[in-house]
Amino acid sequence: MARPPMGPEEPSTRALVLRGVRDALALPAWVVGLSMFAVGSLAGETGFPAGAAVLSTLMIWAGPAQVIFFGGIAVGTALPAIALAVALSSIRLLPMTLSTLPLFGGRAKGTGLQVLVAHYVTVTVWVEALRLLPPMPMEERLPYYLGFANACLLLCAVTTFFGYALVGALPLPLAAGLLFLTPTFFTLSLAAGARGASDWVAVGAGFVLAPVSTALVGKDFDLLLVGLVGGTAAYLVQKKLGRGPA
Amino acid sequence: MTEALWPYLLVVVFGFLPSEVWRVVAVFLSRGFDEKAEILVWVRAVATALVAGVVAKIVFSPTGPLVAVPLVWRLAALALGVAAFFAARRSVMTGVVVGEAALIGAAWLAAGRMP
Repeated sequence: MARPPMGPEEPSTRALVLRGVRDALALPAWVVGLSMFAVGSLAGETGFPAGAAVLSTLMIWAGPAQVIFFGGIAVGTALPAIALAVALSSIRLLPMTLSTLPLFGGRAKGTGLQVLVAHYVTVTVWVEALRLLPPMPMEERLPYYLGFANACLLLCAVTTFFGYALVGALPLPLAAGLLFLTPTFFTLSLAAGARGASDWVAVGAGFVLAPVSTALVGKDFDLLLVGLVGGTAAYLVQKKLGRGPA
Repeated sequence: MTEALWPYLLVVVFGFLPSEVWRVVAVFLSRGFDEKAEILVWVRAVATALVAGVVAKIVFSPTGPLVAVPLVWRLAALALGVAAFFAARRSVMTGVVVGEAALIGAAWLAAGRMP
């Protein structure tokens, strides 16, 4: 593979896409890929075809929502109840997408392209976009993002299939390790991307409030409460400190 | 033929649509915000707290094979991962590897003790 030209000239779109692919394959895509392996294993226990498991990764593209969907199917939960639980678990995608789209300035024009950009938003892509895009020139961000996000999505489509095919073949400690990848990677990504006191308050508040919130409002609405209370607290801390990375 | 397509339809209608709706709503809400808009600072904080909440839910009340690992060990593995992250000059890779090794080790011991 030819190296993209270095130096003062602007990198080509192709070079930017490839840089995104390379950065994704350096770690993040594999982490989310392994967690989708776990989703595939779960889907394998429902009697759904492998294609439906892969389709869920390509279309739903949100681990917790997929776990709720296939977990619900496996135990025979009513479909409208599954849809409601999926919707509640995916509310987090709203603030994530809302804070991702403006990173592209006017470069992501048109509703179609914006919906496409929004579709790729998931925790891993959001955390990395917030960390990696702001230091980049505006015109380089979209191709880089599309390369990064597509690498994650396509690798996950493959790992979902393998998870489906190899269901039950993993010894328990490794299966537990796979499920633990999501919390570990999310925590460290948040820590790596934290840009000030308010981010740490948001992380700490979210972590501490979650068990309390589950006890207060139940496991369906708890994250909503955690987000609003923890996020607002973090925002107020930032206001009080009077300086913000924004 | 039609019957074989049923699972795919369920994924789209009861999985994709209720999840994707939030991304599409965000597209329309984001119109008019620029990168520096004040409300985005709050939105970002809410999203950050939500993700931390997801982490806490998995660690405190997991499902599946993670249940076999006692809560103290789950918390300890996460703490070790974070400590390794900082010790290795904020290396996410190092933190993930150490946290995972601790968890898998704990799961191995826990599995060994089960009847």
